[in-house]
Amino acid sequence: MKPLNKISSVIIAIGCLLVGYNGFAQAPAKGDLSLGVNYFITNNKVPYVLVRVKTKVDGRFQMVAGIPVSLFLDKDSAGTTIGKVVTNEQGEATALIPTSLKKQWNTSLKHTFLASFAGNKRYESAKGDLTVGKAKILISSTAGKSITVSVFEMKDTAWMPVKGVELKIAVKRLGGDLPVNETPTFTTDSTGTASADFKRDSIPGDAKGNIILIAKIEDNDQYGNLSIEKSVPWGAKFTAINKFNERTLFATRDKAPIWLQLIAYSIIFAVWGILGYLVFNIFKIKRLGV
Amino acid sequence: MEKLVLDEKIIKDLLPQKFGRAGKIWVAVLVAICLVGAYAYYRQLRYGLIVTSMRDYVSWGIYISNFVFFVAISLVGSLITAVFRLAGVKWGSPLTRIAEIIAVAAIIFASLIIIVDMGSPERFYNLFIHGRIQSPIIWDVIVITTYFFISLLLLYYPLLPDIQILLRFKAGTNKKLYAFYNYIGSFWKNTPEQIKLSEKAINILCIAIIPVAFTIHTVTSWLFATTYRPGWDSTNFGAYFIAGAFLVGAGAVVVAMYVFRKAYHLENYITENHFEKMGRILVLLAMLYLYFNINEFLTPFFKMKESESEYLNGLFSGNFAPLFWFAILTGMIIPTIILLFKKGRKPLPVFIAGIMVVVGAWFKRYLIVTPTLLHPFLPMHDVPESYHHYFPSWEEWAITMGSLAGALLIVTILARIFPIIPIQETITEQHETTE
Repeated sequence: MKPLNKISSVIIAIGCLLVGYNGFAQAPAKGDLSLGVNYFITNNKVPYVLVRVKTKVDGRFQMVAGIPVSLFLDKDSAGTTIGKVVTNEQGEATALIPTSLKKQWNTSLKHTFLASFAGNKRYESAKGDLTVGKAKILISSTAGKSITVSVFEMKDTAWMPVKGVELKIAVKRLGGDLPVNETPTFTTDSTGTASADFKRDSIPGDAKGNIILIAKIEDNDQYGNLSIEKSVPWGAKFTAINKFNERTLFATRDKAPIWLQLIAYSIIFAVWGILGYLVFNIFKIKRLGV
Repeated sequence: MEKLVLDEKIIKDLLPQKFGRAGKIWVAVLVAICLVGAYAYYRQLRYGLIVTSMRDYVSWGIYISNFVFFVAISLVGSLITAVFRLAGVKWGSPLTRIAEIIAVAAIIFASLIIIVDMGSPERFYNLFIHGRIQSPIIWDVIVITTYFFISLLLLYYPLLPDIQILLRFKAGTNKKLYAFYNYIGSFWKNTPEQIKLSEKAINILCIAIIPVAFTIHTVTSWLFATTYRPGWDSTNFGAYFIAGAFLVGAGAVVVAMYVFRKAYHLENYITENHFEKMGRILVLLAMLYLYFNINEFLTPFFKMKESESEYLNGLFSGNFAPLFWFAILTGMIIPTIILLFKKGRKPLPVFIAGIMVVVGAWFKRYLIVTPTLLHPFLPMHDVPESYHHYFPSWEEWAITMGSLAGALLIVTILARIFPIIPIQETITEQHETTE
């Protein structure tokens, strides 16, 4: 074999080895996803399911966006589909329980919500579920600013009070819920009720002084998340001060402050008045020279 | 008789002179630079502001720096003409015409460069239709227009007696130029009534121009100071700008004094004494401006607020440091050192110091505008790499150089048309001295 051929053979052999190494290399391992299912019902209206999708990266959970999840009621079949959703940037997706499942919904006192991800190039398939019982929450208030919250669960065909349910009674605010007094949480008694005294007298409400009371059961193992709201006239009347349409330095040209206009225009007229006089003066000089 | 001979000599010496070979070359070079600038502006109009290097952050680049420079230099009219006249400074009278011509040329190009900075100049009228009196930009438009008008009048009124003299020399004057002199000043007969009215008008103008001059540059400084940015958020800005403007204006005058003295052989009229005195004024103004600079930078440097640290470090020891220290040294410190010595106040050293002041001042304006815009309070996120830097495109350089050449061209043309030193005033002063 000629030396050139030898060199060529060695290069080809090394090339094959490299290609082979690359070719037989394993594809990167797929990640595992965790699907958390949560059940919500607000003001005892249409319940909805919220699914949270996360994965572990470097020992920490991170929410995963763009994951398609199929949601089912009780069993994984075509007739029990709640909906197909895709997680948002926070790794969350929601779906209302559709009216088409009303019959199925009424057949049982407890339901299991199933979430299923079929898997893709990056993640293995994953499933999650949650079983909750049917419950409802009621709120009432008295003229003496006392609030009563009642919790009931469906047993057989009747709503029965539930004892020992932990809940929050608060005022709904823009940045979160403000407890109605110093007690952070309340627990229902044997009649299924919990009471609280309202001690936020000076709190600003709307123009009529209305505020919104909210009672919440959060992440309850048996009932999920229930909340109810009620508007009461217990707040201070709030009149918004809006300077938008007033005369300010930052307003539109027709809303310039009077003081600014007076100063600016008087200076302009004074200076240009003098200049006008000086131009007129030229004509006077001209007349004297003719 | 002797008086008449002397008067005729003064008139002969100070009459506008036709361009010689050097003058023609000078004008040709300026016209060529202006034409390149005009072509660059055509490209900017044709393709939009994209031909510049200005982007979302640096939206006020070299054009606005140049605008501030022109506004600053225009203040010289009020310093030399008004302040000197009102203060009874007689030696300054040969310099008044030079100062006024520079002021008019600078203020014309200050106005033009603002229009150049606009992406769509055809919408300029909107500034007047929709302008808000609350906006410092409108104040600037009003004040610049006013200052331009006052400067024109201040140039025109003292010209009237000189035009009467110019009209005596029909033979040696171009026909069209003679017709122009005739149109603007044939009515001047030097009667006591006319002199009285003219003197009164000049006095009024001298009083009016000072507050307007202060306003024009204070308002220009407020364009920056009323904008919440690192380096501009300062209550010192009005005084800082005025001090800088007087300095660069005086610098421009000494440069022009030297050039005209050499070109037109005016050694008997712009004497070494004028350079000596203007040198002293330059020292005073340079030290005053240095004082305001120390005020402007020392206190923020001492506090070094987190939001301003990047901007300040960029100036003192970062990317802009060479330019910053160049501007401080060339614009203030070295001229001060030169002019502190008696020998440094001879014509040539004063001329060199004047050039240094003007060049340093131009870069100082660039440093007022650009570094601040590159360091917004909210850090830049998700922007192209080019947004983090600014270096003017060739179009911006060409337009800027074209505007500077244009201003010099106006000065040159006015110096060709009108006597660069007031003839009648010089004759009157000569008579007073003899008596």
